[in-house]
This record gives sequence, structure tokens and C-alpha cells, in this order.
Amino acid sequence: MSGLIELKSVTKIYEVGAEKVHALRGIDLELSSNDYLAIMGPSGSGKSTLMNLIGCLDTPTSGSYRFKDREVKDLSDDELARIRNKEIGFVFQTFNLLPRADASHNVELPLIYAGVSRAERKSKVEAALKAVGLEDRARHRPAELSGGQRQRAAIARALVNEPSVILADEPTGNLDSKTGEEIMQAMGKIHDAGNAIILVTHEEYIAKHARRIVRLRDGLIEADEVV
Amino acid sequence: MQFSESFRIAVSTLGVHKVRSLLTVFGTVIGVMSVVTIVSIIEGMNEYVSERLVAEGSNTFYVDKFGMITNYEEYLEAMKRKDFTMDDARAVERLAPAVLAAGAVAETRKTVRYRSNSVSGVNVRGVDERYGLIEAVSGVDVEEGRIISREDVLRRRAICVIGDDVKTKLFGGVDPIGKEVRVGRHTFRVIGVGEKKGTLLGISQDSFVRIPLTAFQKIFGSRTPVAIAVKARHQESYELAQDEVRAILRARRKVPFSKPDDFNIMGAETFMELYRSFTSTAYLVTVGIAAISLVVGGIVIMNIMLVSVTERTREIGIRKAIGARRGDIMLQFLIESLILSGSGGLIGVLLGVAIALLISGVTPLPAAIRAWAIIMGLAVACGVGTFFGIYPAARAAKLDPIVALRYE
Repeated sequence: MSGLIELKSVTKIYEVGAEKVHALRGIDLELSSNDYLAIMGPSGSGKSTLMNLIGCLDTPTSGSYRFKDREVKDLSDDELARIRNKEIGFVFQTFNLLPRADASHNVELPLIYAGVSRAERKSKVEAALKAVGLEDRARHRPAELSGGQRQRAAIARALVNEPSVILADEPTGNLDSKTGEEIMQAMGKIHDAGNAIILVTHEEYIAKHARRIVRLRDGLIEADEVV
Repeated sequence: MQFSESFRIAVSTLGVHKVRSLLTVFGTVIGVMSVVTIVSIIEGMNEYVSERLVAEGSNTFYVDKFGMITNYEEYLEAMKRKDFTMDDARAVERLAPAVLAAGAVAETRKTVRYRSNSVSGVNVRGVDERYGLIEAVSGVDVEEGRIISREDVLRRRAICVIGDDVKTKLFGGVDPIGKEVRVGRHTFRVIGVGEKKGTLLGISQDSFVRIPLTAFQKIFGSRTPVAIAVKARHQESYELAQDEVRAILRARRKVPFSKPDDFNIMGAETFMELYRSFTSTAYLVTVGIAAISLVVGGIVIMNIMLVSVTERTREIGIRKAIGARRGDIMLQFLIESLILSGSGGLIGVLLGVAIALLISGVTPLPAAIRAWAIIMGLAVACGVGTFFGIYPAARAAKLDPIVALRYE
């Protein structure tokens, strides 16, 4: 099945002072609803910009980005927030958990913004924490968790609203290789359960977990290969 | 997002910065506190004064040749006017159908002695026999002995009725009836003791000596102005009595038709009006002080909320990334500043009530806690928090999630 994400001639130009930075120069990319894609490339190649666009945190300068057949640049701010909330699960390199909230509350947040009832939130949070093996750490704050546990809490948060796609930006970047491997196993399981995943990394061995690797250079796709 | 969630976030965030939150709301606390305290005290005094004045001067009014003197020229003018006499009082009582009784009274302050005991600053009143009657009808009667009679006045007897305070201070436990006290340099025999009336705003109402007006004028000179105390038959004839008295006195004093009164009528309501004009000024001053401290307090809150938005840029980025809309972020920060200022208002109300109660406890000033003052204080505090919270909240809501997420 195709057509979850569809980018056509997408460009992104930032204006830094008087200078124009061409972060993306024309990207064509399609993602089906059960893809597992790794985006690779050196720094400055446009990985993060592409991630932000796909994640509906930003809109393209030109070209078309359709998410589930909706043209993203036509959407309002609130509609973009809605897509981020319901359709996309973010996993960041630096975890980005709220430091003062415990693991369970961090996982609960997307449900709160989705307007899910308290009772339903409780059961969903429990299920999500259980899925990442963190059920006995629910009441711990991020500072009381190890790096791997934090990233698993972040994954639980990304999963809790049953999104269409998980966007993972260097999810293992702040972890040692053994923990990183554990996280990638967890990502694998999520994909096996039927989720689409987009993974940004510059580690070849991490990218190998994906089914498909897209290589970026200078804002253009250099290669799009199946693993 | 649900309101309760915003509320929870706000409470936990403010809890983290307890000292900062407390300092932030200081201006609001002071503003609300001063409003509640001052309103309580003014309202307490209003209640007290009106109760006492009504009890004191029920259906009674006074006529004198001065009235409200506000400058020296008026004083000189008033001094030239004819003095009132006992005859005027008699005429008023006889000619005005709405008047129950009219008595003449003149007063001064003197030291009163009995053997080695003395009381200074005692209110010494020269009265005629009808004045005593007016007081008796108003419910203030002699407790022991008798009041001053017509005979006492006619014969200019050196007798007196003393107040409860004077009795206690001069005689202690000794029965004062028949004893001789010295008022200034003159000796008076005690024939009666007034009923205890208590204090009015901390001033004793029982520190008095009543002597016959004739004796008073002989000792202190007949130039001491005499006032006429008039008691109307009942509440309904109070205003009618004033009109009748005015007509009678104008005729007796031969005031031409085109000229204003050369005397002044003062009832309890005149005092109340004067009193209210003072307290309304006090209200204005309070509102001014409170408004300034609330605005300053609001700016402090805005400043701290801006700091808070900056500190939590990353948190805002995270929330936006996982689906918070602008409205959600806006609401979160608005509720936070609302809780901040609302709790400031609450502290202010509690402190204000405590101070008002303390003041009424240790001073003669009464206090009346008014629900409207408390509600208004809280409402204004919350309003200030909301108003000054809008700008920081809007800044937070407008943050670009990408920039916010990258913020260190």
C-alpha cells in the first residue's frame, strides 16, 4: 500500500540574514504505510530539514508534500499540530522528555492533547510502557532513568497515540552501542507490528536495521536503495 | 487540552519555584491586602458610627449659631450673631407642635477633683432641666440620684450630675451622692450619677459633669455659646420639627425673609454626611494605592512569566512537537499567571483580614469584613494576572517548534 507520505520537488530555503541557504533542492520521496526507511547523509546534507518537513514541524518553500493525501502547506497551524499529535510519533536524539514529569506523565502528554479521557489515557499509558518494558519505571522522572530507559519512555510516548509513522532522529546518538542495539531491536518490533518508521542516522550499522536507505547530499537524494 | 491538565502543570511548575513565585506576587499581595484591610476598617467604622449616632441622637438635633465653620472669616461673622438663650429653647418647645422637648446647653472642658483625686479634660455642660429630660427620653438616664431640676436652674444651685467614668476615677467604691467635687475652682455637690454609656471610637462617653446652665454661665461667663438640643416627638416628625424650629428661630431672631439662617441645625444625619465625605476620600486613596501596587505587581508577573517562557522554550518545543496547539500553550501559560496572581490575591485577602482583625483587637477601631471586598480583591488580582499574562502566553504560543526544540 502506498501514499502515506509523498514529496514532489520539495525545496526548503532558509534566510539567514541576507544569505539564502538552500537546505533542500528538490526532493522526491514516497513512503508507504509499512515502510522502514533510513535517511543518511553527512551533516549539512539536509537530513534534519527533511525530517522537520515530514514531521509537519515546518512547511516546504516550494514543491508538494502530501500526508495521507492532504497537501500540508494548505493546512493551518492547528491542523499541523493535529497531524503531529495523531499521525506522527517523534523520537529524538536527546529524548526530549519533560524533566519534571515522570515517565508515565510524559507518555500521557500526547493523549492529553488529543483530548482522550482520563480512564482511557491510563490504560493506554500502561500498555505503551509495557510495550517498551518500562512498566516498573512509570513513576520515575527522566533524571532517575538510564539513557536507554529514557529513550524507551520516549518511544512509548511516540507510540501511545497509535501514529501512522514514527520519526526517529538519531535515536541512538546519545546511547552506548549496546543500549543503541536494544533500542533498534525495539524499533524493529514496532515495524513488525505494522508501523511505518523513518530513521535519521549517520551510522551505517544503525541504518542496516531499515529496509530502505535514502542517502542525502547537498539537499538532494543521492541514492535510494533497498537493504 | 483539558483545563484540569493546564491547572496541574501550572501548580507543579509554580511549586518548583516557591520563593520566586512568592516574590513575584508580592505587589499583588500588598494591593489586595491594603484594599481588604482599609475597606474592613472603614466599613467597620461606618457601621459603628451610624449605629452609635442613631442610638445617640435618635430624633434629636442641635441648633447653634456656628454650624460648620471652615475659615476665620466665617468664625468672625458667626461670633457677631446673637447668642441663644434658655428662652429660645422654651419658645421652641412651646411653639413647635412636632417638638417633644428643647433644652439649652453650653459646654467646656475642666479638671474635676475630689480630695486628692482628679480627672482632667472632663466635659462640663451647663444644662437646663429640659436637656436632662431629652437625655432621659433617649434612654440615657441617671443611675443613682436625680437629674437637674427647674429649681436647680432657677436658683443657680451648685449641684452636679457626674458621668460613670468621673465617679469611678474620683470616688472608687465610695457612694458619690452628696459629696462635693471641685470643677475648676468651684465646688459642686453631686446629686446624681449618669448611666454608663461606654466609648465611641475609643472616646469615653461617661467623662462628663452636668451643672445648671445658670451656674455655668456665672462661672464661665455668659459669652460661652449656648446650643439648643431639640427632640422631635417621633421619627416621622423629625424633619417637620426641624422646619418648625427653623421658622420659630428665624422669627425670634428677626432674620429677614431674603437672608439665610444665622444659625445652624445639625442632626445625626449631618454628622453622617460629614463622616461619609471623609471616608469616601479614604476610599479613593486606597483605590489609588491598590491600583498602583496591582499594576506594578502585574508588570512583575509579566516579567517573570517572560522569564519562565524563555526558561521553558524547550518544553514548549516538545509539547508542540507532540501535538500541542497554539491555544493549548496559550492556555497553559495564562492559567499559570492566573494561578500566580490569584494565589497572591488569596494571600492578600488572608493577610488583609488578619490585619483588620488585629487592628480591631488591639485598637478601638472596629472592623467589618465585607464579602464584596474579598471577592473584588480576588477578582482584580485574577484580572491583573490574566491581563499581564496575555503577552508572555502569546509569545510562548507563537514559538516555532523547531527553534524551540533546538534551544539549550
